[in-house]
Parts: sequence; C-alpha cells; structure tokens
Amino acid sequence: MVSRRTLAAAAVAGALAAALPGVARAQGQLTVYCSVQEEWCRPMMAAFERATGVRVAMTRRSSGETMTQIRAEAANPRGDVWWGGTGDPHMQAAQENLTVEYRSPRLSELQPWAVRQAEQTGFRTVGIYAGALGYSYNATELARRRITAPRCWADLARPEFRGEVQVADPNTSGTAYTMLATLVQIMGEEPAFTYLRALHQNVNQYTRSGAAPARAAATGETLVGITFLHDAVTQKVGGAPVELVAPCEGTGYEIGSMSIIRGARNMENARRFFDWALTAEAQALGAEARSYQLPSNRNAPIPPQAPRFEDVRLIDYDFARWGSSQERTRLLDRWQREVRAAAR
Amino acid sequence: MGALSLARLALAVAGLGLLLLPWHGLEGGVADIASWPGGAAAPLVALLPGGERWWLWPLVPLLVAPLPALAAGRVPGRLLAACGAGAIAWVFLQGHAIGLRGVAWPVLEPWLGEVRQTSLGWGAAAVLAGAAGLVATGLAARGRFGGDAFIAFLVVGSAGLLLLFVFVPLLTILSAAVVEDGRLAPAALAARVTTPEAWSLACLADRQGCGVVWNTLALASLTGVLSTLLGLAFALLAARGNVRAMPAFRAMTILPLITPPFVVSLSLIVLFGRTGLVTGWMWEWFGIPRTRWIYGLPGVLLAQVLAQAPIAFVLLEGAVRAIGPSLEEAASTMGARRFTVFRTVTWPLLRPALAAAFLLGFVESLADFGNPLVLGGDFDVLSTRIFFAIAGARHDPGQAAALALLLLMLTFGAFALQALWIGKRRYTTVTGKGDSGVPAPLPRGLKFVCGAVAWPWMAFTAAVYGIILVGGFVHDIGRGDMAFTWRHFLTGFEVEWLDGMAFRGSAWDSLFTTIQVAAVSAPLTAGLGILLAWLLARQSFPGRRSLEFMTMLSFAIPGTVVGVSYILAFNVPPVELTGTALILVICFVFRNLPVGVRGGIAALAQIDRSLDEASATMGGGAVQTLRRVILPLLRPAIVAALAFSFVHAMTAVSAVIFLVSARHNLATVYIVGRVEAGEMALAIAYSTVLILIMLAVVLGIERLVGRAQIGRRAVPATPMRAGA
Amino acid sequence: MSDAAVRFTGVTKAFGAVRAVDDVSFALPAGALVTLLGPSGCGKTTTLRLVAGLDLATAGRIEIEGRDVSRLSAAERRIAMVFQSYALFPHMNVLENVSYGLVVGGARRAAAESEARAMLAQLGLEGLGGRLPAELSGGQQQRVAVARALVLRPKVLLFDEPLSNLDARLRRRVREDIRDLQKRLGLSVVYVTHDQQEALAVSDLVVVMRDGRIAQMGTPQQLYDEPADAFVADFMGEANVVAGQVLDAPGGTARVALGGVTVETAMRAHRPGALSLAIRPESIGLLPADDAAGGLPGRVRRAAFLGQTREYEVETAAGLLFVVTQAAAPAHEEGAEVLCRPARMVPLEA
Repeated sequence: MVSRRTLAAAAVAGALAAALPGVARAQGQLTVYCSVQEEWCRPMMAAFERATGVRVAMTRRSSGETMTQIRAEAANPRGDVWWGGTGDPHMQAAQENLTVEYRSPRLSELQPWAVRQAEQTGFRTVGIYAGALGYSYNATELARRRITAPRCWADLARPEFRGEVQVADPNTSGTAYTMLATLVQIMGEEPAFTYLRALHQNVNQYTRSGAAPARAAATGETLVGITFLHDAVTQKVGGAPVELVAPCEGTGYEIGSMSIIRGARNMENARRFFDWALTAEAQALGAEARSYQLPSNRNAPIPPQAPRFEDVRLIDYDFARWGSSQERTRLLDRWQREVRAAAR
Repeated sequence: MGALSLARLALAVAGLGLLLLPWHGLEGGVADIASWPGGAAAPLVALLPGGERWWLWPLVPLLVAPLPALAAGRVPGRLLAACGAGAIAWVFLQGHAIGLRGVAWPVLEPWLGEVRQTSLGWGAAAVLAGAAGLVATGLAARGRFGGDAFIAFLVVGSAGLLLLFVFVPLLTILSAAVVEDGRLAPAALAARVTTPEAWSLACLADRQGCGVVWNTLALASLTGVLSTLLGLAFALLAARGNVRAMPAFRAMTILPLITPPFVVSLSLIVLFGRTGLVTGWMWEWFGIPRTRWIYGLPGVLLAQVLAQAPIAFVLLEGAVRAIGPSLEEAASTMGARRFTVFRTVTWPLLRPALAAAFLLGFVESLADFGNPLVLGGDFDVLSTRIFFAIAGARHDPGQAAALALLLLMLTFGAFALQALWIGKRRYTTVTGKGDSGVPAPLPRGLKFVCGAVAWPWMAFTAAVYGIILVGGFVHDIGRGDMAFTWRHFLTGFEVEWLDGMAFRGSAWDSLFTTIQVAAVSAPLTAGLGILLAWLLARQSFPGRRSLEFMTMLSFAIPGTVVGVSYILAFNVPPVELTGTALILVICFVFRNLPVGVRGGIAALAQIDRSLDEASATMGGGAVQTLRRVILPLLRPAIVAALAFSFVHAMTAVSAVIFLVSARHNLATVYIVGRVEAGEMALAIAYSTVLILIMLAVVLGIERLVGRAQIGRRAVPATPMRAGA
Repeated sequence: MSDAAVRFTGVTKAFGAVRAVDDVSFALPAGALVTLLGPSGCGKTTTLRLVAGLDLATAGRIEIEGRDVSRLSAAERRIAMVFQSYALFPHMNVLENVSYGLVVGGARRAAAESEARAMLAQLGLEGLGGRLPAELSGGQQQRVAVARALVLRPKVLLFDEPLSNLDARLRRRVREDIRDLQKRLGLSVVYVTHDQQEALAVSDLVVVMRDGRIAQMGTPQQLYDEPADAFVADFMGEANVVAGQVLDAPGGTARVALGGVTVETAMRAHRPGALSLAIRPESIGLLPADDAAGGLPGRVRRAAFLGQTREYEVETAAGLLFVVTQAAAPAHEEGAEVLCRPARMVPLEA
C-alpha cells in the first residue's frame, strides 16, 4: 500500500518537475537556435556559459526547420538568438521582420563581406563565417572507373557521370539554393537552366540535407557530391579519399549568419551573446569542432585546412537580390517545373 | 463518491483556482512565483479589482451561485450543470477573443478596446477542472450516468481532455487546408487536394515520378502483403511446422517494438548501400555492379517489412493455433488429402487474421516517417512530404494540411475496410471447450516453402541487428573501417568527474529528457487508458460511442500530422504549451491512449460484470469498486499498457520532431540530427543505448507480470454469466 | 406503508424500444421469501436488478422499507445480493470476500474480519477463511456468497438464480438451507428462479411474470390451485387446458358441458358461458367405461408406470388429456376405453 502511494507521489512529483520550467540562474538565461553541426553548437554554448555565467538552452535544427519554427512562433517567440546556418533564411527572416536590428560594437573587426551583408539587411543579421560552394569526388571510385578528374561545373554534365552526382534539393536545403543562384549568376538564367536540365540526368538523388552529398561522396555512395567545400573538408580530415574542387567557372559562397529574434525574452543576454560570438576567440572554436569555414572576424585564426578564398574564384554574389523571397520563390518554382519534374 | 461531496470538492478546486493559483501561465518559469500574489503569478482574485481583467468578472457569479445550496447540503442539478458549463465556455471564449496582440475578432474591437492577455495558467486549469466537476455532479444529480457523480466526472473530464488534445488540434490543422492568405478559400482546398503532386500518373507514361498518393498507396500495399506473407510463413512453421526455434521467433517479435526509428534504415545502408558490405562482396566475387537500389521504394519497403513481419507473425500465429484441429481432422476423415485440407479448411479460417495483418501493415506503413526520410531517396510518401511542406524551404502549411487530409482519408479508408471485412465474417473456433485433436502437420511442400522464406529472413534480420550491435563500437562502419573504438559512446555519453558528476556527453540531455518524459507519460497513459476502457466497457451513458470514436481517433492520425497540429493549436494563448515538457507528455499520452484502452477493454471482457455489481450491492461505490476489485484484476493489462507507452514514448519521432525545444530535446530527434549530418556511427551508438534501456524495461516488466501470476496460485476461470 | 419490504409503483424499465419491465406495481411483505418466477426474458431478473439498483427504472417509484430509492445507486440502497455466478472476487480469499462489504462501508479491518469469521462459522465454513474462491467446491462457494451478503444485515436480500450452478443433488439441500436461514433470521428475501418446483418449495409468495408484466401473484397454493390464466396454469405445473361451457357454477360444485357430456366438478363461483378450463392431471380420475358414475369417455393412447404414479394420455372428445394417478389405483391398458372424471376445474381468464 505504502509503496504504491510513494510511487504515485513520485510520479506526480516527476510530472511537476517535468512540466515546470527549470529555475533560472542568477545571470539569467538565453535560448539559442543553432543551425550548424552539433559538434560546433555545443562547445560554443559551453564556452559562452563559462565566459558569462548565462545559462544557455540550445536547440539544433537545420536552418529550414529553424526558419519554420521562428515563423510558427512569431506570435509568441521562444528563442532569443539564431546562430549559424546559411545566410539566405536569415535574410529572409530579416525581410519578414522576424528578427531585430542590432549594431554590434564589434562590426568594425569583421571582414568586408560580413559587414556588407549586415548593411544589406539593415543590421538585422550579420555574417559569422563564410564558405565557398564546390564539390568533392571520391578519388578511389574515380580511379576505378578511369574517369578524368572534373574541374568545372560543366564537367559534371558529362555523360560518364550519369547517375553519379548528388546534390541537395533546393526546396529543403539552403546549400542547394546557393548553387542554383550561383549558376544563374555565373551563366545567366537561361543557360543555367539548360545546364541544370543536363545535370539532372546525372543526379542520382536530391538529398534533403545540404551536407549529405559530401558524406555520400566520402563513403562512395555517390561519385560526386555538390556541397559547401568546408563540409567536404570535414570528410577529408576524417580520412575519406575525397578530393575538393572549386569549379573553374567560379563559384558562390554562403555567409553563415546570426540574428536576434524579434520579441526575444532575454534581449540583454541575446546582445551579449551576439557580441561575444563575433570575437576572434569565439570564432576560433569552429576549427576545433572540425568545422572549416572562414571566420568573419579578421583577427580570428584561419584553420589551415580551410579552403582559402584566395584559391577560389569567387563571384560577386548578390545576396540582396537572390536572398529575397520573390526571387527565391520564382527560381524554386521554375526549378521544380523545368528540372525536377523532368524525366531521367 | 456521493454527488454532494464531489460537487463540494469541485467547487473547492475552482475556488482554489480563483483565489490562490496564478491565473496566467508563468512565462518566466517557476521564478515568477516570487511575485505572488501580484505580477505574473497573480491569481484572478488579485487581477479583478484592478479592472485590468474586467472581462473575467462573469466567472465570479457563475462559481458563487452554487455555493449556498451546496453549503446547505442540497445538490441542485440544473444550476450546477449550467454554472459549470457557463464557466468553461466563458474561459475559452474570452481566451480566444482576447489574445497576446489584443482582440482577435474584429467584430468585438469597438466593445473591448485595447486589451491583451497571455495564456491560461494553473489557476485557469483548476477553474476548468472544478467547472467540469460541477457539470458532472449536476448531470448526475439529474439522473444521468446512472446517478453516479464519479462516473459522470470521469466521462465529462475525459471527454473534455479528448476534445482539447485530439479533436481541436486535428480541426486546427484541417482548417488550415481551407485557408489561404488568412481567408476562407474552398477553391484553394480543391486545388490542393487534387494537386498533380499528389495524383500524377506520369510514372506510367515515362520515367518521371508518380504522385505522392500513389507512391504511398503502393508502398503501403506492398508492405502489407509482404509482411503478411512472411508472418504467415513464420506462423505456420511455429504452430504446425514442428520446428524448435520458438525462442528465436519470440526474440524476433520483440525487436521492432524496441527499435528506435532510422536505425534499421542505417543498417540497411551499411549492408546494401552502394559501398555497403554486401554490395562490396557482390562486386568482388560476382562482379555485380554497385548500384543505389536501396534508396527509394525497395529500401523503404525492406525496412518497413522488417518492422511489420514480426507483428504479422504474432497475429497469425494466434490465429493458426486457434483453428481447432478437430475441424481439420473432420475434413481428413472425409478423405481429403493434406493439401486439400489446408486449402479448403485451414486457409479460409485464416482469412480474417490475414486481412487484419495486412491492414495493420498497411496503416503502419502510411504512418511511418523515419524510414522514408532516411531511405526514400527521390521516392516521396505523404508523411515525408507533409513534413517538408512545413519544414522545407517552401513553407506551405496549407499544402501540408491538404496532404494530411489525404493521408487521414487513406488511413480511415483502411480502417473502414477492416470494419467491413472483418466485421461481417466471424469464424470463431475457440469455444472454451478443450479441443483434444492433434494439429495437422504442414503439407511437405508448403513446409519447404515456408522454411525457404523464413530461415533466410531470420538470417537477414540477424544481420541487420548485428550491424546495429557492432556499428556503435567501430570507427566508421559506413566506410568499412572496423577498428574498435569507444569514440562514439564517448561523444554521446562522456561523464566527467569535476567536483561531482558532469554529464559532458552530447546525448545526455536528450536521454534524460526522454526517460523523464516517457516515465511520466507511461503511468498517465496507462491510467487514463484503463479508466476509459472501464467507462466504455462497463458503463452505459449517452455519448459512449462518440467517446469511443474520439479515443480511437488519435490512433488513426499519422504522427507528422499530430506534431504539426499541436504546434498550430498550442503555440498561442489561451492554451499555450509549446516549449514545455508538458506538451511532449500530453502528445505521448493521447497518441498511445488507444492501445491502453484496447488492452483494458480486452482484459475487462475476461472479468465478469457481476463482480462489479456484487461490489456495488455490498455498498462499494464506483471508486471503491475500481480500486479494490477492477484494478487488482486488471494488473496484467495495466502493466502491459505501461510497458507499451513507455517504449513508444522512447521511439516516437514523427509526432515530436516539431515539439521538442531547447530545454526539452528527445533522443529520437537527436538521432535524426545525427543521421542528417551523416554521423551514422553516433546515431547507431545512441540507438544501441536506447535499445538496451527499452529491453531492460520490457524484460523487467515481463518478469514482474510473470511473478505476479505465479504468486496468484491457481487463477480461477472467471465464471461465465448466463443470461437470465 | 412500512409493512412492505419492497414496493413498486408503476415501475417501467425500457432498453431502447424494448420494455423489459412494463408498468409493474406490487408490495412485497417484510420477513417473507418472495419468488419472482417466469420463463427467460419475462423481466424477472430485470425486476430484481431494479430492486438492487443495478439498473435504474425508466419510470415509476421504488421503495425499500418505506424509503424512496428510485434515484439511488446500488451502493446506497442497503440491500445485498447473491449472484447466479456467486461473483466471488477471485483475487481475495474467503475472509476478505466476506468482510469486503463491511470494509468498504467504513468498518475497521479487524472488526470486519471478526464479524466475517462469525458469519462463516454460522454457515459452517469455519477454517476456510484463508482459501481462494477457486479452491472451494461449488456448494462452498455458494455459501460464501450467502455469507458475504448476510454479514451486511441488509434490509432486503436478493438471490438471482442461486441454484443454477449446482448439481441436482445439492440443489434440494441448498434451497432448504436458504429457506431455514430466512425463517430463522426473519429476512426479507426476493428470489429469482425459472424453476417452478424450486419456487413452490421455498416461497411464501410467488410473483409469476410474463413479458415484463405480472401474470399473477399469490401463495404457491393459490397459484397452483387457482391459476388466473392458461400461462400461469401451464407454468405452475402440468395442466390440461380444454374448451368447455359452464352451465351453472354457484360456488362449490358446478356443472360443465365438456366434449358433448355434462360433468359435475368442484369449481369456484363463475357466471355461465363458454370458456377455457384448466384441469390438473392428478385431479382426473379414470374409471372403467361401464362405470355407472359417468364422465367424459375416452380411449387410452399411452400408459406408463413410473413407480409412485401412473401416467396416461387419453383421447377424448374434448381433446388429448394428460392424466396422473397413484400407482395404487387400478391400471388401464393402452387402447382401453375409459371414463374421465375431473374432480376439479379452474376457469381461466381469456
């Protein structure tokens, strides 16, 4: 009898403990939506907690999911800061008035591309890292098939790559959308779609996650994976037989960004995090977490494995135009209609 | 419990909610309580005099009106019911009318002016519970529910909860299908439901993909057929094949229950991916080219059949064993040959069970989200398409709702089919009389076929789970790097000893939350499920059928739909739950409820109704009867419901992927993240830990029940009640 | 008012469109054993459940010892019931079963158990307190069920076919035990059975029910001797129902035209006219065809010797008559011509 009552009491206590949010600490708290790899998210939050004593609650989701979350919660926001993830959804959030303007005192320490992005969005978002688009191929498999190594975008449309290219679906992945926009900027819209239709014949799968093709190329599930180069670097450092290619026609890049969510409940701490995340020390954590993007703080050390922008022919990516909702919807609709729906 | 005491208790609870508990939700967590009785934690009684919540005044007369009569010991049925219903209606009406950003309904704006309020809190919950109690006692006093106030309260309370947490979210998401740009648009609904994305038949003409509805239907049908056939082969071998492999068969049946989502898919990729182990051997030894066949329909199908075949086996084994051997003997004595007997007697008797197994496989395949997500490749099904319509770059809740509607229709169609097919034909051969015949052995040819199907499948299952077992402990099983390592477990489950235990591993948080949420929701699910089963099976009251339908409804709604509907329904006041662990608990409770209810009803059918009645005639009210007679006798069912809901709460993913939050992440969602990032080894390692935990729970519970039965000595056959 | 243990006033119980009990009124005296008798589906069990409160009446008023209980649940009525299946709780031992009602009624466990033990002793069940119901014989289970009901000192004790699960030999003994107990303790008992033998043997009063209504109510003797209609006559033992014409029945003896002859017979006062008449088989005397006393002539179609009695089927102008005579009476061969003399006839209501 007694034991049963104790059990019931314990269950009730457990229910209460689970239902009531934890007691806030003296230094307050902060809710961060993190859209980079888990390995990077965690040490970042831990380091911020150590540096400030603020208790951080962090959720890791892809940038698309986070965007959905922020939109769904717009009437009653739960998060404070959105850290990481490709710049497009950040710019979209700025455009949809889901994030707020904040001019960090550290803006002056940043690379010009980061500052330019902040200016374009009315200081509602800021660049924290950059990564160039490209692709990686599995050298072992390539050698086995005796295919000459690809160097350009155009090479991927060659018939010997039939069913051997993997890329994410731009409907679900910011990476793939960056590729779409990049190609349109390099080639012009009509030739770009002609190229994409040709490439479509060689694509074996449009993955949902942007980084997945790098992984698939590393294991040989596909010969070529189109991703941001830093994702491929991670695989190479992990020992995979992959080679990186920065396409000869030039390529676009992403600016991983950070925004403060409109209606943040811990605005003070959100700004503290914002400032801290732009410091050189904070940005040095990426390399330790095997994330090889270029940091936006000019004083932050560049990881030796990172694909340097000097080696890559970067185009002058027009984030303002191609990040806007209308252009985005238009391009995606056209891609869905003309490329995705075509026979293979 | 007498109507008077229950009514007094209900009024006291409502009073507590009015006078003491914080009326609004605590935005800042428990810390807000410090400001009581003012500030964010103010009870309603402190808010009213200031005039800032003037629209809540009507609650006071509604709750005070029954006071004199109850104090005098009278139970005025009509008054109680009216006051209670009025209070409930008022709380919800004002909550919907006045939101965070002011008046929600433009019609009211000139009357109300500039007002706003946050969500309902514990105080409001207490007022609602008390008001439900008043309604119940009022109805009972007017002779409804057999005059029993306790039963009336259970019915009113559970109906209210089901309405709030099953019906309203469903309605919310389905109404999103008709809304475009904030206004009603039936044309949009028609366009969305008939979209070629869903119905295109292009795949028949050329090599384009087909509509997602056709994909879903094809996959579900194939899964149903294949898992039923495999289950049948195993069932025939087990029941008639004279094989000594029952322990292995049994072990296999427990596996799908305790397997986290994705992990089977991952294992399949490791085996059959283009660089998979099997694919590699095939290439080296036979020169079979490496292909990517596993991504798409074949892979998803394989993963689903792996999960469903054991369940079909359990269903069909029972059916095969239930066929009275005397029926077959009768046929044999009439001169029929073995195979003829099988074809003309055994097979027709098995048909209902086959239909049940097929439909179960069909429905489970419709609801499956994890496997298509990982293995689908370009092959889209409704559950994943709904997910990406919501979470993808093209955020389109209207389309998601329309697709959800289609998925619901498919599911309901399957259930209706089942009711039609199985409801009409009933072949009962279990009469309660012992059947002394000896089961006919399988015809030799059939046994050979069954064996040829079953044994390779066993080996295949073993291989899949072997990969899971090994995958967590080697460097990178995906690339065939088989050097032993603890690295993945360290990443996930590292414990540091720095002035006390510090759980450094990245998986700890989600593991703790998962266990906590599962442990809290399991007893709630089992409790509510058994209570509802008792209400449905033992009490007759108006609206019993509708209550039963609502209970079973949540079983038919696919998880993705539930998740999205919860976030749509409970993110804004008046009922604001997103971001709390409570919403996870509630989601699990109402999703797993049907299983508890079904188990309870089945168990109650074994307990003669005269036992309840005997207790009643001896002065035992509903509460006493339940506590002293029914619940002790239902113990096995309760324990089974506990185990099931615990395990399901640990493996569910589709429903909760939108509901987890920074503070309350769940193991399965964490695993999704790992899979997305291509960290298969960590995902597999984490899955291994989950499997071990669930195995321990299931086996522990099984032992508990087993011992309970032994301690009971001879359990009497429950007496049959002869109709008089 | 208070002399009635149970009083029904215009009670109806409807299940959907079916009226299981249809506008029934009666008053059952206190301290008596009253049997509800009838074929299955006649509403007798429903009536019992209405008394118990296991079903609530759709309309009408039910009183127990003068208190209106129509709206009270079973738990609040202070009755006790012995179920057909006994409904012993399988997870409790005998002592726990018997003390259950006291414990849920708020008694302390020790007090309840000592009272239960005393009741077990009274019913000859000492020493069985620790057993589980499944470990008892059928008769023992039945007595435990009775003990469990009696220990509550109910205002009315209800039995729902308590003997149907016992074998024939036990049945007679147990029903006598119940009758003794009822008399000894002066209990008000309502007893449901479909077995008229059982009803005649134990009852002070029998209520015969048919199609949800009361067909007739009276002492066993009244029901047997003066059935109100063909249904009761047939249900309360064997009866020959024949068509006849009362020529003159002032009370005492009567002259009745039957099958073309006029017979004299005992009958209560009745106005003359054509009607149905019930004749008990044992009240027909068989005489040789040439007997001067006269009677209804007939021919023996079947004859059987049963030890204590002889049974005949006699074909007459009034129809086939079933006749039972004492074995000591003269025997008649099959095919023999006889005269039937009904000593007593009962006029039946249409």
